[in-house]
Amino acid sequence: MKQSDQLNRRQFLAAAGTAVASVPYLIPSGVLAARGRAGANERITTAHIGVGGRGGGLMREVKGFQEEGLTKIVAVCDIDRSRLAKALEQAGAGVEPYHDYRYVLERKDIDAVVIGTPDHWHGVQVVHAAECGKHIYCEKPACCTIEEGKAMVAAVKKSNVSVQIGSQGRSQPEAYLAHRYLVNGNVGHISRVDCFHYPSPEDNNPVPDSDPPAELDWDMWLGPLRWRPYNKKYCHGTFRWLLESGGGQIRDRGAHVMSCAMWWMGADGTGPVTVEATGTPPTKGLWDSAVLMDVTYTFKNPDWVLTWRQMPNDQLPPAEQRTGKEPGGKISRPGYGAIYRGDKGEFIHWGGDGGTWAEKKAREWEPLAGARDVYKSPGHFEDWFNGIKTGANTIMNIEAGVGVANLCILGNLSYILGRKLQWDQAKQTIVGDELAQRMMSRPQRHPYHL
Amino acid sequence: MSMNNLNNVSLAAGAAGILTATVGAAENKAVGELLAGIRNASDKVRTEAWLNAGKAGAPAVKPLAAVMTDSDLEVARAATRALWRLVRDAAWPRANKQKQAVEIELIGLLGDKNPVSVRREVLWMLSEIGGRNSIKAVARLLKNSELREDARMALERIPAKGATAALQAGFEAAPEDFKANMAQSLRKRGQEVTGYPCQKLVPKKKTDLKPL
Repeated sequence: MKQSDQLNRRQFLAAAGTAVASVPYLIPSGVLAARGRAGANERITTAHIGVGGRGGGLMREVKGFQEEGLTKIVAVCDIDRSRLAKALEQAGAGVEPYHDYRYVLERKDIDAVVIGTPDHWHGVQVVHAAECGKHIYCEKPACCTIEEGKAMVAAVKKSNVSVQIGSQGRSQPEAYLAHRYLVNGNVGHISRVDCFHYPSPEDNNPVPDSDPPAELDWDMWLGPLRWRPYNKKYCHGTFRWLLESGGGQIRDRGAHVMSCAMWWMGADGTGPVTVEATGTPPTKGLWDSAVLMDVTYTFKNPDWVLTWRQMPNDQLPPAEQRTGKEPGGKISRPGYGAIYRGDKGEFIHWGGDGGTWAEKKAREWEPLAGARDVYKSPGHFEDWFNGIKTGANTIMNIEAGVGVANLCILGNLSYILGRKLQWDQAKQTIVGDELAQRMMSRPQRHPYHL
Repeated sequence: MSMNNLNNVSLAAGAAGILTATVGAAENKAVGELLAGIRNASDKVRTEAWLNAGKAGAPAVKPLAAVMTDSDLEVARAATRALWRLVRDAAWPRANKQKQAVEIELIGLLGDKNPVSVRREVLWMLSEIGGRNSIKAVARLLKNSELREDARMALERIPAKGATAALQAGFEAAPEDFKANMAQSLRKRGQEVTGYPCQKLVPKKKTDLKPL
């Protein structure tokens, strides 16, 4: 695909029928909060909840849209004072800082929130934001428990807001090429998708629990999680490697790579009937997510198998050699992706998040007359803005986001329990295993609950 | 009873005794091996030990709990993971006897003499087992200022009417600063609560930072 085939932000703005430059003021509060109601002014007022790490990156992305007149950042929020101060500087003049996101949700002039908090906050904050009528962009994975996912879907449906989950791989240019290539039968009927990923890290330098740093509100960082003492290895970024909060590589990158698989296989809204996982735990330290892992999901009607495998680096498939002139450039993240196995051949992609690289044969494939086309996202944020303005379903809407997160959650549950699980997609429940059923939810600390 | 019958009874009792002793010895051996593995200096050996903790069953619960506060962080961590593994293995579908045996041992760890950190972990283990036997012991900790929040959450998860009744009683007896917490659990259990409205959307903490 040529660069010119993609909508840039300015073109998207024009396509959406906006006239931003001529309207220098913001519309009254709440006008955009009702999905599908286009306001007189196309600027979307945003607040950013969780502005360190990935959340900070999201804020800077949205600031780019602000410079193009599409958005207006009015609030930033973080429970780490240092991170909040830094974000405040980056966001610019006039932006209000908050410690407690619930002040943000009270503001009627805020149309949308961008949630970049740790995973264990996603469920609660999405539900609260939806209940307050805010459109939502939430980092992946959508949720940490099955119960959270159900509550999120219900709250979003009830409030009719637009949600985009941050599995942005679906919106990458080469994701479109891969999708189009696969649905046109180029590898035949696909009965198996094997996702691959390098191992989760081990905590080789564990440290004892300690007092939290002065700038951090540890109670609110934990939020819905049960209380535990602060540990330097269990906080910003590192939460990723604990099962209760981050869930390891499967819930991090799995929410990207398996998101592409569900999208390209046309499997959004479906779920596996069985999930079976094995894995290798770390041998020391605080982190407890599986270092190596094998998960097999079986789907019925249609029948296919999805696998997730965290494997030693020397077993990963070699990355395609590129010149760097391809649409996506060189493959900078060769350590994860998926192989699609059809009855006429195979297809491989690398990455699946902000970088998604499709094998050459998909990039070079020219559709013949009558070939099936697929949705081409204008960009992950742009797709969300379109959802806010028109009511159109987003590419990684709440149902799709929860569906993918459920795969990750079920994989970890099977690993933790050491047994195969049966899943009833229609009832959204594990079958025949009371303990596993109880582990589909987790009581939450007061007052940080769904 | 004839002498023959007496002899038979005596033989049966003796056999049962030998069997009990044999089982006891086997259990002790399994527990001893598990603890030795947990205390081993090798990361790999400790990991192998906690991964296989389920085989030792209920008799290993209390000995493992005693190691959960070991001064060696890695040993303490291995003991905690071993106990979790044991709980989850015991709660295998249809393994009700094993589950109850483990539950009873865990309940015995909720006493005031055990460290708060151990009891907090045990409360969550009992919440996963979800058995009725633990309701009374868990509810007692609603009066403990350090453990009441974990006890509330544990009760919230136990799927028995008795747990709802314990939450209700706990709500009525709770001090004012804990009523809203208890109300949260009761609402989760589908109970109507008068007063103490839901606090989830009520902001509380302000920043001292100002806009640029």
